[in-house]
Amino acid sequence: MGKGYMGKILFVDIGKGTFKEETIPDEVYEKYLSGQGLGAYILYNRIPKDADPLGPDNILGFVSGLLTGTGSLFTGRWMVVGKSPITGGWGDSNCGGTLSPAIKRCGYDGIFITGISEKPVYLFIDNGKTEIRDAAHLWGKDTVETEEILIKEVGKKNTRVACIGPAGERLSLIAGIANDKGRIAARSGLGAVMGSKKLKAIVLSGTKRITPRNRDEMKRLSSKLNKIVQLKLPLPPGPIAAYVGTLIGKMPTQMVQDGILYKSMLQKWGTVSMNQISIEMGDSPIKNWKGSNEDFGPKISKSTNPDVFKEREMVKYHCYSCPLGCGGICTMPGKYNGYEETHKPEYETVLVFGGLVMNKEADSIFYLNELMNRAGMDTISAGGSIAFAIECFENGILTKKDTDGLDLSWGNTDAIVTLAKKMIEREGIGDLLADGPKIAAEKIGKDSIKYAIQAGGQALPMHDGRNDPGFALHYSVEPTPGRHTIGAQLYYEMYQLWKKIKSLPRPKFIYHKDTKYVADEEKAIMAAACSKYNQLFNGAGLCLFGAFIGASRLPIFEWLNAATGWEKSPEEYMEIGERIQTLRQAFNIKHGVDPKSFKPSERVLGRPPLDRGVNKGRSVDIEKMMADYWQAFGWDSETGKPTKDTMERLGLNQ
Amino acid sequence: MPYTITNACSGCTACVRKCPVGAITGERKKVHKIDPDLCIECGVCGRICPVSGAILDQLGKPCTFVKPALWSKPVININDCMSCNICIDACPVGCISLSKGAGAGDNHGYPYLSDEKACIGCSFCAIECPVDAITMTAPKG
Repeated sequence: MGKGYMGKILFVDIGKGTFKEETIPDEVYEKYLSGQGLGAYILYNRIPKDADPLGPDNILGFVSGLLTGTGSLFTGRWMVVGKSPITGGWGDSNCGGTLSPAIKRCGYDGIFITGISEKPVYLFIDNGKTEIRDAAHLWGKDTVETEEILIKEVGKKNTRVACIGPAGERLSLIAGIANDKGRIAARSGLGAVMGSKKLKAIVLSGTKRITPRNRDEMKRLSSKLNKIVQLKLPLPPGPIAAYVGTLIGKMPTQMVQDGILYKSMLQKWGTVSMNQISIEMGDSPIKNWKGSNEDFGPKISKSTNPDVFKEREMVKYHCYSCPLGCGGICTMPGKYNGYEETHKPEYETVLVFGGLVMNKEADSIFYLNELMNRAGMDTISAGGSIAFAIECFENGILTKKDTDGLDLSWGNTDAIVTLAKKMIEREGIGDLLADGPKIAAEKIGKDSIKYAIQAGGQALPMHDGRNDPGFALHYSVEPTPGRHTIGAQLYYEMYQLWKKIKSLPRPKFIYHKDTKYVADEEKAIMAAACSKYNQLFNGAGLCLFGAFIGASRLPIFEWLNAATGWEKSPEEYMEIGERIQTLRQAFNIKHGVDPKSFKPSERVLGRPPLDRGVNKGRSVDIEKMMADYWQAFGWDSETGKPTKDTMERLGLNQ
Repeated sequence: MPYTITNACSGCTACVRKCPVGAITGERKKVHKIDPDLCIECGVCGRICPVSGAILDQLGKPCTFVKPALWSKPVININDCMSCNICIDACPVGCISLSKGAGAGDNHGYPYLSDEKACIGCSFCAIECPVDAITMTAPKG
C-alpha cells in the first residue's frame, strides 16, 4: 500500500561517478515529511561544518514534496537545498512547473549530488537507469536552449529538465536553477553550487507510480477544494488598481485579509495583479527603498498595471496539480524583442526592474525577464544589484570610468538592460555586481554598504517592512534571510491557522494601522506559526498560493493523513514544521552563521524614517521583534540559537 | 504487487514491445520475465498477450487478450477539467498533450488525447484525475 512518498533517495558523487540508492525509514518522513524537511535532515548530518559552498563537500539536493503526485492540489513545488554561497548557511529555493512529480516518478523523494566533476556533465535518470553524461555541448547554452536540446537528445515524452544557465556556470552567487523553460528556483544562490559541481542539468524520464494510502479520500478532499477555487469573484477592471492602492494606503485602519480575493486576482492576472496596488499602498519599495509611492505615482506606475501583462498573455498555464493557474506565456513586445515569447513576468520581477530602479518602460521588463530566465539568474537579486549600482553612481562612488561608460541614472532603461547583460556575462562592472549587492559593496568599500539593501547577503524582495513589519521580521529571522514567501502579518491573516489550531490567536477583524508597529508577544507567536506552517507545507510540496486560500478551506492536514495513513492532528503537523525550521537554524549555527547578522539594512527598518509617502514616519523595532520571535520558537532570545531543551523536545539532539 | 508471467508464455515478445517502462525481458520463443521493481501495473502486457493464462495481474488473476482497437481510451470532460496537468504527467506513454486554449476568451490549455495510437488503455489518467473529469471509454465495435 502506498504512503504518498517513495521511501528512497539517490545519492550521486558526481566527482567519482558513483550512485547509491538509500532507503529512508518511515520515521524520518514522520519527523520531517519530504521536501526541504527531508533535505534538512540529510544535509544537516552530512555537510561538514567547514565545507566550502562551492567546494566538493557541499551537497545539492533536488527534493519533491510529500503530497506531490498523490491527487492533492497545489502540490507541484520542487525544492533545491544546499549550503548557500550567499549566506554561508542553510540554502533552499523552490519552484513550480512540472519537475516535482518527475523526481518521484524516478523512484526517489530526493536526488542528492556531492563532489565536483572534472568536466561539464548532466545526470540522466530513467526507469531504473542512472547515467552521468557529457555536457560539453551544453556548456554556455541558456536554460531554454539546454532544455530543448536535452529533451530532443533523450527522445522520451514526459522528460523533465532542471538546469543552470550561463549565470550558474560563471558561479554568479545570485544564480538559480531553471525548469520548464525559464521558471527558476532562484534564491540562496544554489545555481552557483550546481555550476561549481559542473553539473549542467538533471534530466528525469521516470514513469513510476506515486500512490497515496487512500486515493478516494484524496479525491474527495481535492474536489471539494476545487469547487472553492473555481468560484469566480467579481473583480474591478485593471485600471482601477492604482486607486485601490491609493485608497488602502490612505485609510487609517485595515481589515483582516481573506486570501479568497487574492485567489481570484491570481486567476485573472497572475502575481502581477498586485503590482500597482502594491506600489500605491506602500508595499513595494521604490528607488532602492529610499523613495516612496509619491516618486512612482499612478501616472508612472501604470506601466506596471496588471492589464499591461494580461494583454500580452497568449496562453495561461498551470503548474502540476494546480487548479488556479497564475502562470502564462506572453508575447515579446516592442523595442526589446530578440525572443518570441516569455513566461509572464512575476510581481517581483516587474517591481524590481520597475519602481526599484525607477524604470518606466514595461517593454523592457518583459525582455529583462526573459534575459534573466535564460541566464538562470535571480531577478530580485539582479534588480537589487542594479539599484545599488545606480545609487552608488548617484553619489559618485561609481563613475562612468567604473561603469564602462554607462550613465547609471535612475530610470535609464537602456543602461539598466545593458548592465543586466554585463552581469550575466560577468563583464566589466557586471562582474562586480553578479554576486549580489552586499558582496559588491564589500569590494567597493567607501561606505557603499548602506546602499546594498539585503539581509545576510540576500537582496530583499519587493515587500516593504515599513508597511507590514512582518516582512521585516521574516527577512531577519528565517534561516534563509530576505524571503517574502514565508510569513508576514498579512500572511498570518490569510493562512487562517487559528481556525484549525485553537491555541493560535485570532487577529482583530478591523484594526488601526499603528498597531502593526507595536512589537509584542502575540505577534511573535503569529510569526512563529507562519514559519512552522511554511516549513510544513514546503515539506508537502505545497504552493504558497494554495496556503493563502486559508487552512479552513485547504485540507492540508487531511490530505497528509489520507496520503500517508497517519492520524496526526494539526498541532502534530505544526510540530513537524517547527522541527524543520529549528533544524535549518541549527544548520546555520553549525556552520558558524550568527543569526543576528541577518538583520537587514537600516533603511529597510525606517532608520531614518521616510519623510514622505504612505510609509512616512514609520519604523520597525526589529531587535525586540527578533528576540520575541526567537523566544516564541524556544530559541535563545539573545543569540537566536536553538536551546538544548528545544532540540531535545523536537528529537534533534542526535 | 507487479504483474507476472507464467510458464505458459510462448515467447512472442508482444508484451516486451508494448511495456512502457521496459520491465519485460526475454528471448523469442522463451518464457519472458517481468522486473517487479520496474512494473507499474499498467496491464498492457496482459491485454496484448495472445496466450490465455500466460500473464497474471497484480491480484494473481489470469489476463485476457483484448484487440488493441478495443482498448478503452480516455474521454476528457473539459467542463470539469481544471487544467492541472496531472493526467499528462500520469500517462506512462505520453499520449496526452495540452491544447493551446479553448478560444472564446478562455486561453487556458486543456488536455487532449494527442496520440491515440500510443494509448495503452491503462487508465492512469482517469485514476489520478482528482476531480474525475476523465472517463475510460471502450470504442464501439
